[in-house]
Amino acid sequence: MSFNARITMPAEARAGEIVEIKVLTRHPMDRGGQSDGKGGTVPRKILNRLTVTYAGEPVFRFDMHTGVSANPFVSFTTKAVATGDLLFEWREDGGATFTRTARLTVT
Amino acid sequence: MGRASRGRAPAAGLVLVAILLAPVQAEIKSGTEFLSPELQRQQADEARNPAFFWVEQGRELFSRKPTPDAQACITCHAEPQQSLRGTATRYPQVDAASGRLLNLEGRIEQCRVERQGQPPFGYETPELLSLTAYVASLSRGLPLDVRTDGPAKPFYEAGKTLFERRQGQLNLSCTQCHDGLVGQKLRGDTISQGVGTAFPAYRLEWNDVGSLHRRLRACSLGVRATQFDYGAPEYLALELYLAARAKGLPVETPGIRR
Repeated sequence: MSFNARITMPAEARAGEIVEIKVLTRHPMDRGGQSDGKGGTVPRKILNRLTVTYAGEPVFRFDMHTGVSANPFVSFTTKAVATGDLLFEWREDGGATFTRTARLTVT
Repeated sequence: MGRASRGRAPAAGLVLVAILLAPVQAEIKSGTEFLSPELQRQQADEARNPAFFWVEQGRELFSRKPTPDAQACITCHAEPQQSLRGTATRYPQVDAASGRLLNLEGRIEQCRVERQGQPPFGYETPELLSLTAYVASLSRGLPLDVRTDGPAKPFYEAGKTLFERRQGQLNLSCTQCHDGLVGQKLRGDTISQGVGTAFPAYRLEWNDVGSLHRRLRACSLGVRATQFDYGAPEYLALELYLAARAKGLPVETPGIRR
């Protein structure tokens, strides 16, 4: 289980309300460079980007580099406009992607 | 003049002896008290405490069959929220059958080998850490209550001796710092009383969850003493002594430590 995510946000909000979205991620964020014991080095393997779309619209993007710690935490705010899914997508070095969705109901 | 003062001197001496014999630390505080307010808030907040990932993984392992024909932990320990609540407060404890001192990790490994018929996970593997963190988290908030009498007495005494014995190239004993210099600074950190109630804990230095024995190995390295193996009898005895010292303090697993 090298990747997991915990997204904390209100399930409901009034239209126009600012909601805070907290994203805690489990990932070793291995910056690489160690010896692999065979004369080479271990390649970097970190999550390099988190993008969040809300009802299809991009609302947040977080580019990560080797200075970001393991198990990164980030929080951001967005304005509740309409009931819809927030789609979280992480991109890992090597091309793998991980996704999570969370629904925001606007009343 | 002489008679009166000579009469008082032994009494003053007795008071001094009484002070010297009194415990150095009357009250033992959790390691949380030595964290910054910001870290304390992070530890309490499930949305920000990464150690809960390990608890989540442990919960999943607990109810999953290791192989299709083996039993899952939950087969015997149904409704762990009730049946295992408080279990972690009583560890380390002496195993009645073998007479060995077992901590929570040791008991889980024993269950896995003897009852599930599986190869042991191995100390400090993510699986064992997760299961330990999960089982310990079921006792969150309950006071530690280990037994130090009867069969546990020799282990307790051994742990106490190790805690008080000078060791390593720096010739330091645990008690010199963790009783004598509590609250003072050691490099960037505040010296705590060496209470392990939050372990397995997420340690910022590791960027990872680790066991109490991993932490103790770091202590041994710090005073340039012999590092015992994970699960070594010396660390088990010390773990019992630390738990007895922290008697009454709540279990905080999964905690955050620096």
